[in-house]
Amino acid sequence: MDFLQRTLDGLLEAGPYALVGLGLTLGFGLLHRVNLAYGASAMLGAYAGSWLHVRLDWPVWAVLPCVVLATALAGLYVQWLCFPDTDRATGSVQRASSVVSGADSREVVALASSFAVWMQLEQLCVNLLPRHLNPFPDIASTHEWSLGPLGLRPDRLVMCIAAAGLVMWVARWIHTNRTGLALRAAADHPLAAHLSGLRVPQLQRWGFVLASGLSGVAACAVLALEGQVTPMFGMWMLMKGLAAAMIGGLGNLRGLLWSAALLGVAEAHAQALFGPLGRDAATWGLLLLALLLRSARKTSWAPAGGLHA
Amino acid sequence: MRDALCASEPGIGLAIQMIVLCLVALSAWLVLRVGRISLGQQAYFGIGGYCTALLTTVGQWPLDIALLAATLGGAIAAALMSWPLLRLPGLHYAVASLAVAELFRLSLSGWQYQVPGPSGTPVGPDGVHGFRDIRWLFDHQISQFDYLMWASAVLIAVVLALVALSRTRLGLAMKMVGHDETLAASQGLPVHRLRLLATALAGAVAAFAGGLYAHQLTYIEPALFDPMLGIHAVGYSMLGGLATPLGPLLGAALDLGLLEATRWFEGWRMVLFGTLVAVFLRWRPRGLLDETLVCRLRSAWQSRHHTVSTAMADQS
Repeated sequence: MDFLQRTLDGLLEAGPYALVGLGLTLGFGLLHRVNLAYGASAMLGAYAGSWLHVRLDWPVWAVLPCVVLATALAGLYVQWLCFPDTDRATGSVQRASSVVSGADSREVVALASSFAVWMQLEQLCVNLLPRHLNPFPDIASTHEWSLGPLGLRPDRLVMCIAAAGLVMWVARWIHTNRTGLALRAAADHPLAAHLSGLRVPQLQRWGFVLASGLSGVAACAVLALEGQVTPMFGMWMLMKGLAAAMIGGLGNLRGLLWSAALLGVAEAHAQALFGPLGRDAATWGLLLLALLLRSARKTSWAPAGGLHA
Repeated sequence: MRDALCASEPGIGLAIQMIVLCLVALSAWLVLRVGRISLGQQAYFGIGGYCTALLTTVGQWPLDIALLAATLGGAIAAALMSWPLLRLPGLHYAVASLAVAELFRLSLSGWQYQVPGPSGTPVGPDGVHGFRDIRWLFDHQISQFDYLMWASAVLIAVVLALVALSRTRLGLAMKMVGHDETLAASQGLPVHRLRLLATALAGAVAAFAGGLYAHQLTYIEPALFDPMLGIHAVGYSMLGGLATPLGPLLGAALDLGLLEATRWFEGWRMVLFGTLVAVFLRWRPRGLLDETLVCRLRSAWQSRHHTVSTAMADQS
C-alpha cells in the first residue's frame, strides 16, 4: 500500500515539474534561447512577491499577478542583455563566425552571459530579502481526501490538472495559432520569417517574455503550495526544469507531461528507498539515461555541432 | 559551507586558489576547443581531490606521485564518461556532463571509507562531511609559499604545453574539429577520437587542480564541486577568450580580481560583476583574447621583431 501511496504522491508531483519545464522547453527548445537565468528570473519574481506579501501585506490575489509580471520583466531584461537583436536591417539571423563547433557563437555567448545575469539576479534577491526562509502567500489545502487506504491532497490534484491543461493549451497554441506559428518561424528560420513579412526581433523578444511569464506562473504555483521561498529556488527551477524538459525531449510539449510524471514517481520511490540523496540521484540518473537512449536511437542525429538538436 | 569559488583568504592562499581555478578553467577551455561545452569539469576536480587525498593520507604516498596518479585517474575517468556522451549535440552534451558530475557528487556524499590515521584519528571520506585532515603539507613542513611556487610552475608548464600542442598537427586537428566537425571529418580526421583525447586531457588538468586544492585546504567535501564550479569555469574561458590558453587565465584573474577589487561593494558585488560580464560579452562576444586580437598581437610582435632584426643587421 505504501508503494501505491508513493506512486500517487509522485504522480501529483508531475504538476509542478510540468509547469517548471514548460517555460524552459518553450524557451530552450522551441525558441532556441539557452537561458541559464531562467530560474533566477522566476526567483526574482518570487522574491518580489514575498516582499509585497511581508512588507506591504498585500493579499494573495494581488501578489500572484505581480510575481508573473516581475518575472516577465526580469525576462525582458535578460533578453535585452544576453540576446541582443540580430541584424535589424534585414531581421535575419546570420550565423556569427564559429567559435565553438560550428555552432552559433552567440548562443554560446548567451549561455555565459545569462549565467552572469543569473548570479546578478540571485544577489539582488538576497539583498531584497536577506533571510534564508521568506514567507510566500500560502494557498495550500490542509485537508486530505481519502480514496480507501490512500490519501490524496486536493490542492496537488487541482495543480496537476491545471498544469496538464496549460501545457496542452500552449502546445495547441504554438502549433496552430498564427502568432504561435510566427514565433516558431522567427526562431527556426529567421530569414524566411523576415521575407514573409514577420517582425523577427519583436517576435523573438515577446516569445522570450512569454516563456519567462510562464516560469513566473510555475513559481507562483509551486511556492503557493510551499508557503515559502529560499535562495535555492532559482537553481531548483533550472535543474528540475531541465530534467523534465530534456527527458521528454527538448521542445516536445506533450513529452513534457509524461516525463514530469515519470520524474515525480521515480523521485518519490527513490526518496523512500535511499533518502534525499537517492531522490536527486534519480533525477540526474533518469536525465542521463534519457539522453543516452536518445543518442543511441539517433546516431545520425548530431548536426555539425549545433548547440541544440 | 565553504565555496571553492569564494577566495576569502588573502595573500598566498588567494594566489593558490587562483591557480587552482585557472587550471579548472583551462580544462573547460580544452573541451570548448573541440566544440563541446562541459558543465561537469567539477567531477574530475573532485576525483583528483579525493584520489590524491586518499593516496597521501591512507596510502602514505608522496604528494607528487599521488598527484600524478590522480591526474591519470582523472584522464581515464573523463575518457570513460565522455565516450558515450560525446556524440550528443551541444546543449545535450553540456547537460549530460552536468548530470554525470551531479551523480558523481551524490555518490561521494554517500561514500564512507575511514581507516585509522598515523595519529590514531580516522581518516578518509566521510559522506557529506567530506574528507578532513589532509595534512601532507603540514606533516612534511612544506610552507604555503613553496607550495605556491610549485603550483605556479605547474600552471606555467601546463600553459606552455597547451601552447606547444596547439602548434602541432594534433592541436590544429583539434582546433579544426572545434570549428567545423563536418569539414574535419571530410578531411579524414577521427573527430570522435580527437574529442575524446581533448576531454581526457581536460579531465587530467581538472583532477590535478583538485589534488592541489585538497592539500592546500587540508579538507574537501562534495559540496565544493557543485555545478557552480563547472559553470564558472566555462564562464572564465568565454570571458578571457578562446583563441589561446591564456584566455581562461585572464578570465579567472578578472573574476577574482574584480571580486577582490570591488570588495567595498559588499552585497552588491555580484550585481556589479554580472552586469560587467554580460555587457562585456555583448561588446566582445568571443572573449577578450579572441582570434582577431591574438592575430593582431602576433603580427605586431613579428613586425617589431623584424624591424629590430633589420636595424641590428644594418648597424653591423
